[in-house]
Amino acid sequence: MSHPVELHSLTKTYGERTVVDRVSFHVGQGEIVGFLGPNGAGKTTTLRMIAGYLAPTSGQVTVAGHDVISSPTESAAAVGYAPERPALYESFDVLGYLHFVARAKRVRRADTASQLDRVVSACRLEAVARSEVYKLSKGYRQRLGLAQALLGQPEVLLLDEPTSGLDPGQISETREVIRSFGHDHSVLLSTHILPEVTLLCDRIAILHHGQLLAIDSPAGLATAVGRANRVELQVAACELSDLKERLFDVSGVIRVDVDDRQDPYTVNCAVDSSGNVEAAIARVVTSDWDLLGLRRHDPSLEDVFLHYVEGAA
Amino acid sequence: MSGVFAVYGKEIKLYFRSPIAYFVLAVFLLGTGYFFSYNLFVSGLATMRETFQNMGLLAVILLPVVSMRLFATEYSAGTYELLATLPLAPWQVVLGKYLGALTMLGLMALGTVLDLVPLYLFGAPETSTIFSGYLGFLLLGSACLAIGQLCSSLTENQIVAALVTVSILLGFWFVGHLQSFQTVQFLRELFLYVSFAWHFGEFIEGLARFESLALFVLFAAGALILNVCALEWRR
Repeated sequence: MSHPVELHSLTKTYGERTVVDRVSFHVGQGEIVGFLGPNGAGKTTTLRMIAGYLAPTSGQVTVAGHDVISSPTESAAAVGYAPERPALYESFDVLGYLHFVARAKRVRRADTASQLDRVVSACRLEAVARSEVYKLSKGYRQRLGLAQALLGQPEVLLLDEPTSGLDPGQISETREVIRSFGHDHSVLLSTHILPEVTLLCDRIAILHHGQLLAIDSPAGLATAVGRANRVELQVAACELSDLKERLFDVSGVIRVDVDDRQDPYTVNCAVDSSGNVEAAIARVVTSDWDLLGLRRHDPSLEDVFLHYVEGAA
Repeated sequence: MSGVFAVYGKEIKLYFRSPIAYFVLAVFLLGTGYFFSYNLFVSGLATMRETFQNMGLLAVILLPVVSMRLFATEYSAGTYELLATLPLAPWQVVLGKYLGALTMLGLMALGTVLDLVPLYLFGAPETSTIFSGYLGFLLLGSACLAIGQLCSSLTENQIVAALVTVSILLGFWFVGHLQSFQTVQFLRELFLYVSFAWHFGEFIEGLARFESLALFVLFAAGALILNVCALEWRR
């Protein structure tokens, strides 16, 4: 069975410059996938190719089983796309704009009013429903961009930086809309905001220089970069060489760094993520020295992201 | 066709929510009204012949103002990204926009119908010639708008689109004059055959000939097809 979004070796070049380089992945039904990458990584270009705005140089994109190139209208009908800069007609009022999008998406006349009500309510646009678009604040513009993407009940939602420019309250509301939509639809969203990905996404795709470096669940990615796990110890002043030697003997300890500028010393042990290294470390240290504190640091998404991006640089 | 009508409705709204529609209609109707009154009351010519002639030249100059924004502003405002990702085929977008522009042309023509009232009151105009003149005006305008829409699809700057369109249209309007400078028979005939002014002049004289009709239709259809190709190429 095909997935709602499938990318096969998707490539986009502009002259000599390769912006997206043989990217392959899929987005499953009811799955939210976060697209993570530094500026210029190719996130927007990839989203634009899936949305049908740009044609790939090579490779294939299918949306809801339709090839974006050979069946552009059918694939577009299955997609709700909100670009980073909302594409709005300034002289329209909010409802007039949404009405146009609904007609273009072939929403049946009988369903138009209910669908407009639904997206206006979901995106909290009631207060500005009759306002002209040019009078809207940045937050409302962003939400109107999301509302038009939700119209027509698309199978797939593509969101490019959906919360950029929103205040904390609006960010929370927008995330709730995305989360509720993602229950039974597929969502692919690009963002710079790492906590957003952690909060919303089932899987994370890391893109850098147009290449897909990794795609997995947040836990899976953390495991994959397990060597970034570390155990931090607070040990009363002691003979450093002995302490280091004993710690290195512990299975799973990869590196030991000690900050001995003040008492107690801070000891950072880079450890393998596989076993329960903390207990072994604690046993070794307490046998000969005073252990004043021990804390395990699992890699944050930021660590994971930097691990991949810096590794690829 | 629902996609075409969605785009058409949007275009009509956009025309009348900006000053462009009112400006073009006002200048066109004031211009044609002035020339009509002058011919009728000063020159004593109770015909539409001279009025049609002026309508043609005014259309060549003013219609690029109608067509200049069709795609150029979509590109510059970023709204083309929406249009291109909605379930609309490029031909539907092109046709919807073109029908919107044709509506403006129809309104311009409709505004001049008022001139016919004194004409029929004080003179005895040939109704068939008037019909032929209006048909010629609509065909000329259709070709001008299609060319203008094509130019608009090739740039993000609507002023550039308007200037390039005016240049092309004036070229096709006056190209017939070049035949006087040619000794090669083929070139003399070519310049005449592609002259908008010459073909439009035939309609004004009451000669609604097939080749004149075909020329304007071919220009319009050719420009619209190239317009669709330009949108495909942008992807």
